Amino acid sequence: MNIVNILISYIVFPGFLFAAVIGLFITWIDRKVTARVQMRVGPPWYQPYADFLKLLLKETIIPEGASKTFFLLGPMIGLVAMSIFSVMLFSMNFNPESSFVGDVIVMIYLLALPPIGIIIGGSASKNPLASVGASREMTQFFAYELPFYIVLATIILKAGGTIRFGEIIRVQQAQGPFLYSLSGVIGAIVILLSTQAKLSFVPFDIPEAEQEVMAGPYIEYSGVALAMYKLTRAMMYFLMPLFLISLLWGGLTNWWAILKFLLIIVLIVLIKNTNPRLRIDQALKFFWVGIGTLSIIGLILAFYNL
Amino acid sequence: MANAKLWGLKKSPWVFHVAAASCNNCDIEILDILTPRWDVERFGIVLVGSPRHADALLVTGVLNRKSLPRVLQVYEQTPKPCLVIGVGTCTCHTHIFEPSYNVVGPYDKYIPVDVYIPGCPPKPEAIIMGVVKALKRL
Amino acid sequence: MKKEFSKEIIDEITTRCPEASVKIHAPRRVYIRVPREKVYDLAKFLYEQKEFRLSIATGIDTREGVEIIYHFTFDQAGTYYNLKITIPKDDLQTKSLATFLPAANWIEREIHELLGVDFIGHPNLKPLLTAESWPAELHPLRRDYADEHKNLKMKEKSEEAL
Repeated sequence: MNIVNILISYIVFPGFLFAAVIGLFITWIDRKVTARVQMRVGPPWYQPYADFLKLLLKETIIPEGASKTFFLLGPMIGLVAMSIFSVMLFSMNFNPESSFVGDVIVMIYLLALPPIGIIIGGSASKNPLASVGASREMTQFFAYELPFYIVLATIILKAGGTIRFGEIIRVQQAQGPFLYSLSGVIGAIVILLSTQAKLSFVPFDIPEAEQEVMAGPYIEYSGVALAMYKLTRAMMYFLMPLFLISLLWGGLTNWWAILKFLLIIVLIVLIKNTNPRLRIDQALKFFWVGIGTLSIIGLILAFYNL
Repeated sequence: MANAKLWGLKKSPWVFHVAAASCNNCDIEILDILTPRWDVERFGIVLVGSPRHADALLVTGVLNRKSLPRVLQVYEQTPKPCLVIGVGTCTCHTHIFEPSYNVVGPYDKYIPVDVYIPGCPPKPEAIIMGVVKALKRL
Repeated sequence: MKKEFSKEIIDEITTRCPEASVKIHAPRRVYIRVPREKVYDLAKFLYEQKEFRLSIATGIDTREGVEIIYHFTFDQAGTYYNLKITIPKDDLQTKSLATFLPAANWIEREIHELLGVDFIGHPNLKPLLTAESWPAELHPLRRDYADEHKNLKMKEKSEEAL
């Protein structure tokens, strides 16, 4: 594969540009459904693209005394990680031979980079409210990653002990998706709630609670850097349900995958609209005590092939 | 290219609310326009939590000796280009509060205001019309 | 509890302070004029033994001096017992109630900066509401402030013209 092909696949399809455009569209679906549930007319379809273009127009102000490199580095980490993740996800779904041993671990690592970018950016702005937001993001990160890893161990166990992403998809296409079993249902619930927390949606939008820490870690960002943060979150919104479908519901090669994807988006939006915000200690207890025991039960059930 | 960016600014103005010692009537009306009856999100207007994310500052209240340095600080923290919209009659001129010991001039002396929306408090339809007029001037 | 002022309280106040003149304005509003030196003991008695609550204190500049009213309320009957004192203009000081009443702390700071009354024994008599750039010896709520206000405005206009 020559260098031009590689560059095009990373930047245009299915890398950065593809995930960015469709990710921004998914945020529009979210806002429109939220508006309809609240009995109002929502924004028009080009709204997220107008937001992004407008943010590129504004000037980027770097606060005095803030560390310049880390202030501008924070947004870039998440964006680059999500582009690579998108390429890996799509190429391994449609071409299972291209996966290598241990690539599920690499994908989990790439998914953990955007919160680290938020923490770096929030700590580098010289603002006490931003550090409070960054520390809350750190605590929440510890909370939701633990059950996620236990569920991943469950999935590896059910796939027969292999840690190749392509293998997991191939096993599901041969045997039937993992969702149609009790441990699979438990895994789906846990991954759905972890997605809600990773995307900082209510009830877990504790780091950027508007009434408590005005905009949390993003408080000093403006212009291009803020646009990158919003774009990273839009891409995560698009890619994480696809990850869930690939791990548990049979992969993306089927045309039914679009319906499954829309169902997961609708579930996320419904949870987002019907719940109040939790406190950070309540969220920690929820994820470690409640969801953690649930995921361990799922692991034990998978051990007995249920 | 400049046309595309200007289109973006027109279609999605993010709003930050600066309440400089107002009687809170205009603040309640500003809160009203986000509710489903006069839904203002269809113009792309979102209430943001930090002045660094804002395109338009909604200012209310008479300018005070004590709130003057703070309003100036918020105006400087907003990235340009930004609109300043004065909501309520208190921002147009000091009127009946002129002889008070704590009042310093109208807003025009210190920050450039783009649109004034008179009314005490202005109806939500008037606020929407004022914001749309300010956007059309861009 | 009957929604009216209670005669026992007024009798106790007049026994403690015979120079008090009581005026009953309405069934639930009582105004008691006391001399300046007695208000500390009366307020202490009302607050600590009868468990009254200090609602607010108000002040005004009159010809006889600065009048301060302390509004004490008895919440169960919904009645207000207001203690009125007059401070002569050439000796603007009185004993502060903030030593035992936490509610009087901020309101006495406000009366001090707006009317110029000095409260002896107040733990923290700094300006509360005026701006940081306001000169501390200018008291805006006095009757003769109008002339100083004109001087201040002309001084600011000339500074701007420069």
